[in-house]
Amino acid sequence: MIGCARTLAQLRAQDEESFGGKSTSLGELIAAGIPVPPGFAISTAAFEAFLAAGGLGARVEAILADLDPDDVAAVAAAAAAIALEMRRTPVPDTVAAEVERHYAELAGASRKGQPPVAVRSSARGEDSAEATFAGQQETYLWVRGGEGVCEAIRGCWISLYSPEAIAYRARMAAAGAVAAMGVAVQLMVDAEVSGVMFTCSPLTGDPSVVAINASWGLGLGVVGGEVTPDDFLISKVSREVLRATIADKQVEYVPDPGGRGTHRVAVDESRRTVACLDDERLSGLVETARAVERHFGSRQDVEWAIARTGSFPENLFVLQSRPVTATAKAGSEAVADRSGLDAMSLVLGTFGVRPRKD
Amino acid sequence: MSTTSTSAFPNPLSIATPEGCEGWEEMYPYYTLLGEDRREADEQRLWFWNSMHFPEPMSAFDVVAIDGPYYALANWQNRVFAIPPAMGIDYRIVNGYVFITPNAVTDPELIAERAAFFGARAGHYFANWDELYGRWREKMGKLIAEITELEVPELRTYEEDSVAFEDRDTSFVRVLDAYNRALRMHEQMWQHHFEFLLLGYGAYLTFSDFCKSALPEIPDQHIAQMVSGIDVLLFRPDTELRHLARLARDAGVDASFSNGRAPEEIVAELGRSEAGRGWLEALEAVKDPWFNMGSGDGFYHHHRSWLDDPSIPFSAIRGHIDALAEGRDTERPTEHLAAERNRLAAEYGALLDEQARGTFNELLGLSRTVFPYVEEHKFFCEYWFQSRFFNKIREFGGLLAKHGFLHDGEDVFQLSRHEVGEALEELVLTWAHGGPPRGPHHWPPIVERRRALLERLKQWSPPPAMGTMPTEAINDPISVMLWGITPERLRSWASAMGGDSLTLSGAAASPGVAEGLARVVRDVHEITDVQPGEILVSTVTSPAWAPIFPKIRAAVTDIGGIMSHAAIVCREYGLPAVVGTGRATAEIRTGQRLRVDGTTGVVTLLEDEPE
Repeated sequence: MIGCARTLAQLRAQDEESFGGKSTSLGELIAAGIPVPPGFAISTAAFEAFLAAGGLGARVEAILADLDPDDVAAVAAAAAAIALEMRRTPVPDTVAAEVERHYAELAGASRKGQPPVAVRSSARGEDSAEATFAGQQETYLWVRGGEGVCEAIRGCWISLYSPEAIAYRARMAAAGAVAAMGVAVQLMVDAEVSGVMFTCSPLTGDPSVVAINASWGLGLGVVGGEVTPDDFLISKVSREVLRATIADKQVEYVPDPGGRGTHRVAVDESRRTVACLDDERLSGLVETARAVERHFGSRQDVEWAIARTGSFPENLFVLQSRPVTATAKAGSEAVADRSGLDAMSLVLGTFGVRPRKD
Repeated sequence: MSTTSTSAFPNPLSIATPEGCEGWEEMYPYYTLLGEDRREADEQRLWFWNSMHFPEPMSAFDVVAIDGPYYALANWQNRVFAIPPAMGIDYRIVNGYVFITPNAVTDPELIAERAAFFGARAGHYFANWDELYGRWREKMGKLIAEITELEVPELRTYEEDSVAFEDRDTSFVRVLDAYNRALRMHEQMWQHHFEFLLLGYGAYLTFSDFCKSALPEIPDQHIAQMVSGIDVLLFRPDTELRHLARLARDAGVDASFSNGRAPEEIVAELGRSEAGRGWLEALEAVKDPWFNMGSGDGFYHHHRSWLDDPSIPFSAIRGHIDALAEGRDTERPTEHLAAERNRLAAEYGALLDEQARGTFNELLGLSRTVFPYVEEHKFFCEYWFQSRFFNKIREFGGLLAKHGFLHDGEDVFQLSRHEVGEALEELVLTWAHGGPPRGPHHWPPIVERRRALLERLKQWSPPPAMGTMPTEAINDPISVMLWGITPERLRSWASAMGGDSLTLSGAAASPGVAEGLARVVRDVHEITDVQPGEILVSTVTSPAWAPIFPKIRAAVTDIGGIMSHAAIVCREYGLPAVVGTGRATAEIRTGQRLRVDGTTGVVTLLEDEPE
């Protein structure tokens, strides 16, 4: 199926309808010169082709017909039945061929026979409630070989039919909620340190700081909340570290010794309570955060990793970025109260003369 | 009755007199003392030790330097501008140390009534700031000239002809009048001092509050950096010393400044060569006005100017010569500071939305308009005028000593301003009539007793505060701005009171971390003891100490906010500073190893006692 896969670097915001939010935002980042691990994207059309092949779509429809979204047991049974059907259905050859071709290209560029990749779902409207319920979070790390990638892609598709996603779409059916999903495939970063950063204070919304959470190993621990990460607050303006809380980081994720998948291990004693980022790296992260924010023109929540190999900052990668929606706008009320006033009324207010807004 | 609420701070009336200091009260006016008649009110208030302005016990005469500022502050704040929620500063002296508390206005109707006055009067000042400040400098200039030229008449056996033939006042009138005029000029100086200060601080505080509401994580020091002046008059004296150091090297006379030499020796040696005489000429050219810089904050008679005590400028020149020899740049990086100030303002402004940015820029503009006064007034008031004033009082001391009322002119500062008046009155009386004076028997034992008392009182460590913790937030812009007295600060002092903790916390005034040995300096005269690489621990610092900052590694003070001088100077030199710790000089010993974290505001005592 020609065109169902495209390299990430070719994608732009307008491709979201076909490739989903994650893939297109990675494309945008690459275009903006932000270091993103190379990779390719699978379109929603590939998923549609999968459903069309061998009448899978019809069988799924049948399982979902007349399903009561409030009947938890029935929803769970439906999810299990669909997963079984899907696992029995191979990824269409036309799609698999495209995946093989792009994976081989990646392998060629990385000069590794079977480079490990991360396979992540890329839903439309990534930040909508739908995306959250629709299982867009599905991620497979350290996947190798074209076949393995196809399997992981199918795994992402199956996650569209998690019990939560099924129930959600059933309730929203009237609003036209349909299952559709793209997939992003990227070279894996063997992270020494990884984490997330906000281009504002997550607590106060202050736009003059970058908040960085970081821990040893792959990002799973931080994203999944399994470790308490080191917590840094850094001034965008001066690059000073305003606050640093160094946590006891007990576990980390590392590539599985077998070469596929990841593995959770205890962090060795000597690194547990040591800051996992130094000033140089913090400063580099802030610079990257600002570049990402500038590019999108809004506050961003950025997932990043620093590879074990290579030297900083060339080994820093952005894995994904999303707009921040949930934080308070900095002191919004207090600021709104003051912003409409001239300086003099504000100064009088300091001395206890209550300002009046006309 | 004691107070109903418990407090971490001692009850003011239960503070014991240190051993051997009995009778200290005789040095101070009755109204400055605690007493049974005001017990109830005084126990209910929170008094904090004003170690910023009064780190040492007060001599009897130096009470003028408490009354002067507090008359003036309260008069402007409460009776001229009628700042709605705040009246003036009340004070008490305990064991020689000055404790203060702001008097608040809480009645909403009264606040509204005052607001009407305040709006009109403060508005006038803000609207005409530059013009009014121009006039201010003129009147301060006149006052300084007047105190300098004030004649302290000699008491001759026979009056000069001008009295007999030209209707000139007789000496008794001129002596008493001159003394009263000196006191009056001192009061006027404080009047001028506070005319603009409250409004200046208020404008700054408004900008600071706005920044913190729009950008809650903004470091205080960035706010200060955006406002602080670059070409600040107060840095000028030190800049001149740097130039003199460079000149000494260029002229090849730098060897004359070798270690341990007194200024007189250096000057004498320089006078013997042509190059040296050239340097001395350059020195003379900058002395007026820059050597009117003080060695302290002007609240004590022993805070002399550089003109009177050249050891500080000469030791600073020597430090700058050493730095030049090591190839270090001693020039203040004004271009860099200016660029950084503008960069910060532009970057923070750009982070705000359009409306907030408009307000930000307007408030920043106003703060920059008023801030030169806030930064410059000290040079004119505390240093230049005060050193001339105390020198004038020394002349009266000299007159009293000449006639046997005192052993030494310097003893005059052990008498209160009223006692000096009394002594002068008896002097002119007995000089005029020729009968036997009591003064020579009366005053010297008093002086001796008080000197001994002050020495003993110096050994006492005052608590950071006494009385009852306020339940409401402190609403006095001056207390917050000048002394850094916020509810959080009071709580941290209170918790430190009971503790044997190895850390002290204060305001993070200048970022960075440093470790080193402490040098505790409680008296301005000890600053020449500071060794290179030490951490300065003091009750407070003043701009006059600027010359020692290139030597030190970090600074810690008992009192002060992020706009205090230690904070400003440390930021200039890139040294970590923690200010407002409450008890640093009481808890830390010279020689103890410390870690100063100017980013978080924590001072850690790494060893219990010096090795």
